[in-house]
Amino acid sequence: MVVTTGQAGCFGCMFELLFKYPITVFTKGKFVLLGAWSAWILVVLIVAALAGLGWLIWSRLQRLEPVKDVTPQMQQRRAVAIWGMQSALIALVLLLLWQPAIVVAELKSQQNIIAVLVDDSRSMAIADSGSDGKTQREASALAALQGGVLAGLQKRFQTRVYRLDGGLNRAEKTDGLQPSAAATHISAGLKQLATETGDLPVGAVVLLSDGAENSGGIDLDAITALRNRRLPVHTIGFGKEQAARDVEMEDVSVAPRAMADSRMRATVSLRQYGYAGSKATLTAKDGDKVLASKDITLAADGQVQAETVFFNAGAAGVRRVTFSLVPLNGEENAANNAIVKLVSVSGDRRRILYVEGEPRWEYKFIRRAADDDKELQIVSMLRTTENKIYRQGISDPSELADGFPDKAEDLFRYDGIIIGSVEAGYFTPRQQELLREYVDTRGGGLLFLGGRFSLADGGWGASSITELLPTFLPNAKDTFHRDPAITQLTAAGADSPVMRLIDDPAKNVERWKTLPYLMDYEDPGNPKPGATVLAEMTPQGRAKMPLLITQSYGRGRTAIMATSGSWRWQMSGALGDPTHDLFWQQLLRWVVADSPGTVVASIPEAQLMDGGHVKLTATVRDKAFVSAPDARVAAHMIGPDNSSAMVDLTPVPSTPGTFAADWTAGKPGSYVAEVTAGRGSDELGRDVLTFERQDGVAENFHTEQNRELLEKLSSETGGRYWSADQLDKLPSEISYSEAGISVRNTKELWNMPIVFLLLFGLMAGEWLTRRKWGLI
Amino acid sequence: MKVWKALTYAAITTVCCTGLYAFQRTADWGYQPETSNVKAEFAWSRLRYNSNMGSYGGYGGYGYGRGGGNWSRDYPKADRQFLIALNRLTRVNGRPTEQVVNLDTDEIFNYPWVYAVMVQTWSFTDDQAKRLREYLLKGGFLMVDDFHGTQDWENFMVGMRQVFPDRPVEDLTDKDEIFHVLYDMDDRFQVPGEQYIRTGRTYEKDGYVAKWRGIRDDHGRIVVAICHNMHLGDAWEWADDPEYPEQFASMAFRVGLNYIVYGMTH
Repeated sequence: MVVTTGQAGCFGCMFELLFKYPITVFTKGKFVLLGAWSAWILVVLIVAALAGLGWLIWSRLQRLEPVKDVTPQMQQRRAVAIWGMQSALIALVLLLLWQPAIVVAELKSQQNIIAVLVDDSRSMAIADSGSDGKTQREASALAALQGGVLAGLQKRFQTRVYRLDGGLNRAEKTDGLQPSAAATHISAGLKQLATETGDLPVGAVVLLSDGAENSGGIDLDAITALRNRRLPVHTIGFGKEQAARDVEMEDVSVAPRAMADSRMRATVSLRQYGYAGSKATLTAKDGDKVLASKDITLAADGQVQAETVFFNAGAAGVRRVTFSLVPLNGEENAANNAIVKLVSVSGDRRRILYVEGEPRWEYKFIRRAADDDKELQIVSMLRTTENKIYRQGISDPSELADGFPDKAEDLFRYDGIIIGSVEAGYFTPRQQELLREYVDTRGGGLLFLGGRFSLADGGWGASSITELLPTFLPNAKDTFHRDPAITQLTAAGADSPVMRLIDDPAKNVERWKTLPYLMDYEDPGNPKPGATVLAEMTPQGRAKMPLLITQSYGRGRTAIMATSGSWRWQMSGALGDPTHDLFWQQLLRWVVADSPGTVVASIPEAQLMDGGHVKLTATVRDKAFVSAPDARVAAHMIGPDNSSAMVDLTPVPSTPGTFAADWTAGKPGSYVAEVTAGRGSDELGRDVLTFERQDGVAENFHTEQNRELLEKLSSETGGRYWSADQLDKLPSEISYSEAGISVRNTKELWNMPIVFLLLFGLMAGEWLTRRKWGLI
Repeated sequence: MKVWKALTYAAITTVCCTGLYAFQRTADWGYQPETSNVKAEFAWSRLRYNSNMGSYGGYGGYGYGRGGGNWSRDYPKADRQFLIALNRLTRVNGRPTEQVVNLDTDEIFNYPWVYAVMVQTWSFTDDQAKRLREYLLKGGFLMVDDFHGTQDWENFMVGMRQVFPDRPVEDLTDKDEIFHVLYDMDDRFQVPGEQYIRTGRTYEKDGYVAKWRGIRDDHGRIVVAICHNMHLGDAWEWADDPEYPEQFASMAFRVGLNYIVYGMTH
């Protein structure tokens, strides 16, 4: 039930008129019976009286003569009605005999402090408050304080005024408060208040704010700290609760790292008021260069809408991508239309080990596709004869000279592994175990292809690493067939950057439908729960089956491409058609992109808002990808204006191999952290991170009054949310608190006006109805 | 009566046409080898092309395989014997029987490795040249064999230039990967045809020195492998003849296997 403030005020007055005390007393107090005898006697008496009355009426009913025009049923119902009213009267009288009362804690006058917190962050400068809707929020707050609230409070309590923004500071006067602080941290401020005033008799807290909290919400610590002191927070909200005409970017989700030239996907969530159904343009820009542009239709008011944008990561380096919406006509706040995200694009070449059991066309065309991608290098070993292995892409003559590696540091060097038409029995048990560790602990990617000796036909279903596979392999022989099959995308595939051949999603799905048929197919079985099927294939005369299935496994990922005939997309496509090569490049990038190096550095958030504090963490492993807790780890921080600092990271005791350091970025701008780890004289690895400190941006977002947050804060702590026109009641109601120096007062209920009304009303009503029905 | 006449004429016509057709079929195939429906990864594909009958280019009937045709020299025994070696000596899954492909349909794109002989007699229509060009640029591989001397070379290049007007023809060196993918072949020599048994000469016409040549794509990969002044097809075909020297047959097999493995890995 939505109650406007006018109605609420009226309701409060009526309530107090009838019930003698404000609603707060009843909500905060405890109902007690002051009578000497215990309550159960009262209950017994009431029940006895009701029963007795009922028997009396019933026996009288039997002896009554029938009245004309009244059926026996009606007679009975009337009798029941009379019984009801008489019972209610008796019960009420009995209850009153037991002296009902309410016990409620009240602050003792002149002995308590009320803390008044005024939000003076920049969002309070927005002029959408007050009775005319055009007064600055801060000004409204100060007017409310000076217009009676402070005076009312000071009649019975001492007051302390604080400024609340990034922290909590005492303010001597209310006059000088200007809304200029860069950020709001209500949680932190309240926690600070609760702890700093631990030895002071603070009875309650009054918070004047618009609820625009930059850290996302009130955290549990703050609520717990307030509850421990039983401090109720009364919140007074300022500002419009809903913008009339505004489009706001809520968040952008994009991978913080990418390989050079890869296709990236960003999910942008936005919300708007006042433009439902209109068109808007969403762009992703790197400086002045437009990376992507998409026309979208805005959803209903207040609804969070998610849009996907694809763009190319570009060359190696740090990409500062601004996702923005072109401001629409009449937008109240255009400063919340853009969000910046940093993407660290690495130019390191990723190496993939490809083990192939027989010369075949798929091998040739996959190698050709990877050759065209500067970021990928396939190192392959091909069994050309029973005893010969032909190696391609090796970095020196000794690489793979002994065949498939059986030492962890040799195998874990690669970022991805492809297993072609090779039976499981070709690998020794140690090598199979290494394959599992490769995916599980090293975090590498493993791709299985279809073929004569692959999957079920290669005995992989019975191998020790069948759990790596994203499907349950069929328990049959001859799953590989040299027969055509046509491909189509699944819904998951249509969304995936791996399968995106054309930017336009609808055209992309159509393109996949027109691809040449696959030369052969292999039944991969059913996908495991948690696996994603990106594409399916339909062989002639058979049911659809999965073609490309992926899943995460441990720290890494595995996939099956259940065919060796996708080379037909190249040979039977048009000359110059990039389909085959593009698909394989994107799939191979998926296999390797998230494979971590030996050193992985991370920070919680790449955008630092006002304050610049950052916690840098690094996980360090050696060449066999075993944790290295004895490593020496240091970070070289390079800031704007080429300022430079060295920071040592210290081991985190609870997790061996993890190191951390706290640092503060002094100035706004972009920063690069290069983390190096060494053990003795060897370097174990390095990693590069970028982050940015932005000042003054956070306050532009979520500028409407966050009434929900304020209401939640007050209800969790036992306070109440007040709108500007109810404030005259605040000084009196605020005294109902258990904090500070309070006493428990007992308020008697027998003399409430409503009691008299009920007594009189029941008696009169009962007498009148009996007369009417002729039962007297 | 009239009906009987009509029927007789129809019957005679049918018989003649069938006979003609049958004649075509048997004339094409020479002797009938056993065919195979086995599907495999690699299918030995011999290219059937238009011949210009005269060596002086252009005139004369354009025979298409009538009376055998130059494309079918050594066919099918050479191909069959080679496939035996392929399947025995490598892990390539080769179909046990050979097949013939042409440039008139897109079927050729299903067989990315193709062999052609006596290519001094080949010529292409515009469509055929375009199809072969696309085939090679998309990832196909062509091996040409059995043409000797300067005149043959020039006639071969007429056809080749229809396909690749500008791409240079290079001499392949010992360092080229194609001579090391399977066997190391630094010790190559001229492989003669069956005529060696009677003449004792390894060369024909004025093709005294074996030329190992190739045409590369934009990535430097060999897409046309040219075996000029040698006759590998005969060596495969006569490998089982006691009079034909084993070293020539072995060299010929090694060349063919290297070229196939190269075509399947590059």
